Amino acid sequence: MFPTDFELYKPFFVTGLALGGVYALSGVGIVVLYRATGVLNLAFGAIGAMGALISWTLINHTSFPDWASYLACIVFGGLVTFAYGVIFGPPLADRDPLVKAAGTLGLTLILLGLMSYLWPPFGRTMLLPTSNYSYHVGFAGVDVTQTQIIGLAFGVLVTFLVGAFLRFTKLGTAMRALADDREITSTLGVPVRRVEAAAWLGSGLIAGAAGLLLSDLVGLDAVNLTFLVISSLAAALIARLRSLVATMVAGLAVGLCTALLTPILFWPNASFPVAKYQYASPFVIAIVALLFLARRRVVTVARTEG
Amino acid sequence: MIEVEGLTVRFGGVTPIDGMTVSFQEGTCGLIGPNGAGKTTFFNVLSGFVKPATGTVSAFGENLLKLADYRRARWGLRRTFQTEQAIAKLTVFENVALIHEHSHSDRRARRADVEDALSFVGLDAFERSAVGTLGTGPRRFVEIARAVVGQPKVVLLDEPAAGLPDEQTQHLAGLIREIPERYGALVILVDHDMSLVSACCQTTAVLDFGKLIAAGPTAEVLHNEHVIRAYLGTEDEL
Amino acid sequence: MPARGVRRGVDSGAARARSVSPETVVRAILIGGALAFVLFALPVLLSTYWIKVLTAVAIFAVVALGLNVLFGRAGLVSLGQIALLAVGGWIAARFLFLTSLPFPVVLLLAGLLTAAVGTLLGLPALRLSGLHLALITLMFAGVVAIVVPTTNFPNGGSGVLGHTESSLGSLAIRRPSIAHSDEAYFRYTVIVAALMFLLALAHVSAKAGRAWSAIRHSEPAALAAGVNITLYKLYAFTLASFMTGVAGGLYAGNVGKLYSYQFSGARTIDSVSLMAVVLMGGIFSLWGAVVAAVLQQLLPALLNDWFAFFRENPDFLFVIFGVGLLQVLVTAPEGLVTQFPRDMRNLGRLIIKPFRRRSGAAKGPP
Repeated sequence: MFPTDFELYKPFFVTGLALGGVYALSGVGIVVLYRATGVLNLAFGAIGAMGALISWTLINHTSFPDWASYLACIVFGGLVTFAYGVIFGPPLADRDPLVKAAGTLGLTLILLGLMSYLWPPFGRTMLLPTSNYSYHVGFAGVDVTQTQIIGLAFGVLVTFLVGAFLRFTKLGTAMRALADDREITSTLGVPVRRVEAAAWLGSGLIAGAAGLLLSDLVGLDAVNLTFLVISSLAAALIARLRSLVATMVAGLAVGLCTALLTPILFWPNASFPVAKYQYASPFVIAIVALLFLARRRVVTVARTEG
Repeated sequence: MIEVEGLTVRFGGVTPIDGMTVSFQEGTCGLIGPNGAGKTTFFNVLSGFVKPATGTVSAFGENLLKLADYRRARWGLRRTFQTEQAIAKLTVFENVALIHEHSHSDRRARRADVEDALSFVGLDAFERSAVGTLGTGPRRFVEIARAVVGQPKVVLLDEPAAGLPDEQTQHLAGLIREIPERYGALVILVDHDMSLVSACCQTTAVLDFGKLIAAGPTAEVLHNEHVIRAYLGTEDEL
Repeated sequence: MPARGVRRGVDSGAARARSVSPETVVRAILIGGALAFVLFALPVLLSTYWIKVLTAVAIFAVVALGLNVLFGRAGLVSLGQIALLAVGGWIAARFLFLTSLPFPVVLLLAGLLTAAVGTLLGLPALRLSGLHLALITLMFAGVVAIVVPTTNFPNGGSGVLGHTESSLGSLAIRRPSIAHSDEAYFRYTVIVAALMFLLALAHVSAKAGRAWSAIRHSEPAALAAGVNITLYKLYAFTLASFMTGVAGGLYAGNVGKLYSYQFSGARTIDSVSLMAVVLMGGIFSLWGAVVAAVLQQLLPALLNDWFAFFRENPDFLFVIFGVGLLQVLVTAPEGLVTQFPRDMRNLGRLIIKPFRRRSGAAKGPP
């Protein structure tokens, strides 16, 4: 049914962990924003994609220094997300989470439209300088590029940094308070709009960083990068949109699973040709996560007692 | 008649109803108690939204708890809620007909039944008006019409007079008193307005912290010292 | 048995009995007139290219109608309707090649089988909140978009999938025997679309529509009224999917050849843009579905014709849909469709006035 030669899987462990790290990174960005504002940012991938395309243009068509071009991706992510949050956050603040997420779908449509216009379909590659350096991990017998290490490291590092930020800083505590109970928090004199804006900005910077890394690891294709948000979303959903550490672990798991499927599905001896279905795995994982973990009671009973 | 035996409801760490045993005889019965006493939870048990941990509820000889929630309307249970439930876009007629069409399969009697309920509450002139165009008073009466249409067995009224000025409250009281005789239904009225309760209900039960603390003829219950203390914490009369 | 209470006099009873209001008659006449114009005048006035565009508008109006009923009435969000269109198209194409069943029968089959798939898709609706349901349907759209390039669409080949790679063996999907030409097929499509609208109307103005309104308004109150929420939620999916399946069959007949690139990969976003135009068209009236289809199918064709810019960048329209979606979400979601009926209603009242005065009836609000 599937190949048992461990050697076959080794390189996919590496790519899986690297990708998983970036999924964890994105997942954390999604979860923190959701908890602080109630908005599930489905435009996360599109934002990163556009940022990466901007970097590509700066590198290949201007004389901008490379490091500034990479930074531009991250800055773009922060700016666009921040702008969206500041403009469309307040009017939708009291609406259902569905409406808020639908707004981000509107943003996705806008970004995809702009990207198809500004960057007509054409094979583009983004190669981060760190991809030129790789290490040979002797005991495991695999090669690992620096970018892949960064991917994994960022995922883990940012999870704990953000966790520490939320726990130990004033702004972070305010975000946690908002996540717990909006109404009470605003009556306590916490500047809700400012805290939300900070969450939007931070989440946007993460989107930019993730987009940059993914464009190197997976390829610079606007649509592909846009829909990679599904993998991060799956991780966030598995963690019930709550725990950052759970999101990180889930992100790594999703990355590993989807990568490890590749040798199985591309195995010439497979009983039926399922290679192309590999790309469906993030969707399937997300469906499973939604079915098993996002249940609610059928009827909401009024909370006021009489 | 409704007989409740040892009813207990638990969720989270709370016990909103604790070993409630009471029987509601015919006519109009009041159910009162301070906020959080468990009155709406009791209604939710009857409606089927809340599953009790233990206990039985037998209504007109049938085990009510065995019925699925949406089947209870067909059985003959009707209910109003603290917040308005009529749909603003639909007309008064449609809102009342909605109740009838999900509890009665026979369409022939529908128009007659709905018009009868509307004339009972005095809203026949507004039959074709969208509920959204009516004022608070008429809307409350739409809820009553929805609660009595089509020969119900049990009518649960949860603070039906909320937001009504005094004269309309009195009119409402008159209607509530008439329901058992006109429709043969048992009415349970939950309200904080003691004058309304005294005016409509022959018997009253009192809940406090999920426990039954008094039950009997309304006048006696309202003068019961335990009840007074539960409400006001003092010995003043209600 | 207690007394029933006083029955009102015969006069007022009769006046309130099943009388059709003058407004309804005028509305029916106007719609009938417009339909006649579309069916008979347009094919003469317009070129074949534009007739094919309008056929696509009619087809997508049916898809939009499904979503309009599903979300506008039952309050359920599905971002997978285009995927269901693909499913319907596939089923119709397969039956049209495999059998010699008449076209209408195939449409019905496509509708029913797609309805079955759609009902399954609606099962999560019973347990999931609005956002999670939307996400699951989006995931479904993604899975279909990935599967489609592998299964491809039937084109006269053999086997279960009915697809052949050779261009010699691939055939065009057949059309109804009475409607081969593009003009005739346009009329056929418009008539089927009109039937679908009648089907939707029959539901919305009757028991199902009221039950959906009740569920959307408050589930506890709907339960207390005896509405079987499970049944009606699933039924909304069944109806919307049936209509989308029929639309899929019509689509197959219209394009003649179904290519996987029309539904795969990047096109996953089409289900999202459909939601955007349905909201922009307006969900409080069934006519919103027509506006939605005009936005999604006619507008791009017009822009293509007028501006070279759009010819080169067809997806730029997404920017407009995205902005439109945000605008609808932020302001009251009534959409473009409420102003038109308001104007029409005023016009209608102007026409009716002389008749009303003659009959002497002085009734309340329409």
